[in-house]
Amino acid sequence: MPLSNNKVADDGSSAEPLQDEKAMVDSLIKVVACYRHLASCVGGCTDSSSLRRDLGKTRERAQTLALSCRKHLTTRLRDKTLPDAERKETERLWVSFSSCLELLHADMSKVLSMVKHFSLANNSAMVQTGVQEGSAEVAARALSLPDLQKDAGPQTSSLEGQEQSHLEQEIEQVDRTLDDMESKVNVLRWTVEALGPQYTDPESTDSASLTLLSVDEETTQQICGRSQMFAAMLLCSVAIFALVLSVCVVFLV
Amino acid sequence: MTIRNVRDHGQRFRPRMACLKKVESVVLEMQDPKTGVKSQNQRLVITTIPHAVTGEDIVAWIANRFKTNTLEARAVGTMMVAFGYIYPLQDHKRLILKPDTSLYRFQTPYFWPAQQWPVEDTDYAIYLAKRNIRKKGMLELYEQATRGTSASQHALVLPYRLEYAWSTSLYIDAAGKERKKPDRVVFECQERAYWVVHRPPPGTVSAMDYGTDRMVDPNMEEVKKKTSDYYRRIIMFTQQCIMRPRVKSSVSIGALVKYSTTYKEHDPFLHSSLPSNPWLTDDVTYWALNLPNVETPTKMRVERWTFSFGELLTDPRGRADFRLFLKKEFSGENLAFWEACEDLKWGAAETMKEKAQQIYKTFLARGAPRWINIDGKTMEITVKGLSHPHRYVLDAAQTHIYMLMKKDSYGRYLKSPVFKDTQKKAIAPEAHRFSDAQLEQNAKRRRPSLSPIILRQQEEEQKAKLAASGPVDITQLCRFTAPVPHLAVYTGICEATSPGLMTLPNSAACPSPISVAIDSTPASERRFDGNGGPSSSHFPSIAEVSISEEENQLPAPKSRMSLSLTRLLRRGCNAPSVFASLSPKCAVTTGGGKVQPLGVEPLAQPQPRRIANFFQIKVDIPPECRIYPIDSEDEEDDSPDTARGTVKEIICPWETITKQDGAG
Repeated sequence: MPLSNNKVADDGSSAEPLQDEKAMVDSLIKVVACYRHLASCVGGCTDSSSLRRDLGKTRERAQTLALSCRKHLTTRLRDKTLPDAERKETERLWVSFSSCLELLHADMSKVLSMVKHFSLANNSAMVQTGVQEGSAEVAARALSLPDLQKDAGPQTSSLEGQEQSHLEQEIEQVDRTLDDMESKVNVLRWTVEALGPQYTDPESTDSASLTLLSVDEETTQQICGRSQMFAAMLLCSVAIFALVLSVCVVFLV
Repeated sequence: MTIRNVRDHGQRFRPRMACLKKVESVVLEMQDPKTGVKSQNQRLVITTIPHAVTGEDIVAWIANRFKTNTLEARAVGTMMVAFGYIYPLQDHKRLILKPDTSLYRFQTPYFWPAQQWPVEDTDYAIYLAKRNIRKKGMLELYEQATRGTSASQHALVLPYRLEYAWSTSLYIDAAGKERKKPDRVVFECQERAYWVVHRPPPGTVSAMDYGTDRMVDPNMEEVKKKTSDYYRRIIMFTQQCIMRPRVKSSVSIGALVKYSTTYKEHDPFLHSSLPSNPWLTDDVTYWALNLPNVETPTKMRVERWTFSFGELLTDPRGRADFRLFLKKEFSGENLAFWEACEDLKWGAAETMKEKAQQIYKTFLARGAPRWINIDGKTMEITVKGLSHPHRYVLDAAQTHIYMLMKKDSYGRYLKSPVFKDTQKKAIAPEAHRFSDAQLEQNAKRRRPSLSPIILRQQEEEQKAKLAASGPVDITQLCRFTAPVPHLAVYTGICEATSPGLMTLPNSAACPSPISVAIDSTPASERRFDGNGGPSSSHFPSIAEVSISEEENQLPAPKSRMSLSLTRLLRRGCNAPSVFASLSPKCAVTTGGGKVQPLGVEPLAQPQPRRIANFFQIKVDIPPECRIYPIDSEDEEDDSPDTARGTVKEIICPWETITKQDGAG
């Protein structure tokens, strides 16, 4: 699943833990991305107890990943005997990791406020956003689980309250993690250079959905309507047919 | 439990947008399947996506819900679109509600505008990175610029964001792959709409615009622990509130009413300005007629001068008129002094010391060429302050002179022929009556006005011209006391004949008024008391201008003044020079009444030479001119030694010590 593993060559024994950490940070970024997709469904018409549950699970996974990442990266960065190139690499990872964590924090805070507002238990109105399917697949990808239970059962207000407090606690935990990171390891963010798009994912160049959108726009910008175009085409075909017929007639005659 | 946003370090908070909550509730109401807005399916090429709403449905629903007309409902709907709660499916860049069959959809709550969280640049960077990958570099120009600037900005500060943005965008994409196509389309639409709202293309009006950020978080609940310290501060605060000076509402409201009735015709919002308001009709006649130094002012402007003395002084044309009047009355030094003080207050710090000294030499020192009449106490304070000059050192004197002018000269000015003449000549332009076509033409012909730099240069040139032409009402006798041009804001308009006056001392035909005056000592003048009467009527203003309370106790100097005046008049000398001769004497005799009681005694001495030397206003050429402060008796003794022709400079009292060495 992690994409970067295919690209990076083996550098040696010392590079192995670096690869591991990279893999961990990448998976964390993935999970955070999935969390964002899930969060965008909260309050919409596909909001359901399963979504909330998926959110929770994704969050937990993100937390565990984050903790392990932090541990590893901290130990590595505190290691004074680290060679320069590796240190740079690790610092880059650190910076990616910290920004990813900040994004997760922001998303979690948003979800918290939204969940307070759109309570499933109280049957508050959900916004009809046009999303049709549930986001189970996204959650599956995030959690790397092949299947999930589809139904989580109805939500009660007490359950919801519990979840909210749980969420708050987790947010605090992320807060503390970030603080710890800042205090323990001194990475000067402005010295870390960005490498740019290292990973070119062939999958992501799929522009199918974009074409849908652009086509949609084009249809509205058309000067003639659809029916008019159909009529024009019909006329053209008739004209061509007539031409062909006349040519045949001329030939034959 | 407070949950902090890690990236916000407490320095800047967005101001409260209270409308957001209200719009949210309306949007939720719209969702009701029974009473909400009807939704339909949006048909794209292959798929259909539900929950699309037409613009006219929204407008109808809002009009029905709030019981308003369609125009109002349309405005409300546009507001909702502008905030980003509803986004258009076609023509997504224009955030307006079109009341026809164009389709809209509701935004997911994740992308709703939130009070607490400002929209982060990193998210925008991620979004742009995603689009860049997809469109392979075909971003809009402003987006590229934003990416460029944000990239460069971020490159300076947060380079990691860029890399992070790339990787995250990839993963977000990949995560999105898991969703079905229509959902992906919807998500992209949502995101795109979100960024159109929060990062509008340059030049568009955004609903998210607000003013400056606040220092205090408006969303934070102030849960203060009520310690004794807290209560103590509350008590102090309320005590101070009570102790604040209060004005009775009858008084303050009365003042407001008076102000309103006086100024209501002059307010361009309440009354149409003549000829026409340039902001409305694009016709700049009004500004041309009301330039600071226009020849003939408008009637409205002249009327304003009658409202208060402050109005007269703040208007440059009014001040010029007043200056003219004072010139005729030979009391221009008051205004000159006032202007000099203003210059000191508002001028650059480096020239302040020199300016202060110059002002002292010109206006305040005993025997100064343009001596102003302020009471003794003020003079004391001022002189003491001048040893350590700062911007406001002349404030007391300035206020005194201002009040003097206000109570005295202003009243006479309003009755004077100068003012009446100006009033008569004032123009009352007729109101313009532009047709629509003409208004459009005016708008096309708009041109930018002169740059303020040029205006300032013109002002400076004018000032320099004014100053270079010398002082208006008295002869400058000593070159050293002639104000330096660049500092001489206050010298006023000059008489053309003043250069001629400088040569007068040498001409026998018209002996210098000063020497004449000096020859006729105060003592000798006293003999001519009786003659003072008839001539006093000629120049009543001269006497009046230098009037202070103590002068009433000394009628003799007045007659002295007028006496020498008559004598000089008979010689046909210019009035200004006459006054020039008189003012120093006046200064010493009258003003000296309080400041230096000793001053009167030397005048009683019948030694003209002694006294002449005491005054030290010699007309003759030698370039030194010195006016000694009164208490340097030893220098008085020295003065007979110096040639009669020496012109000595005025020194400031705090320089006495240093000056001894460099004297002469």
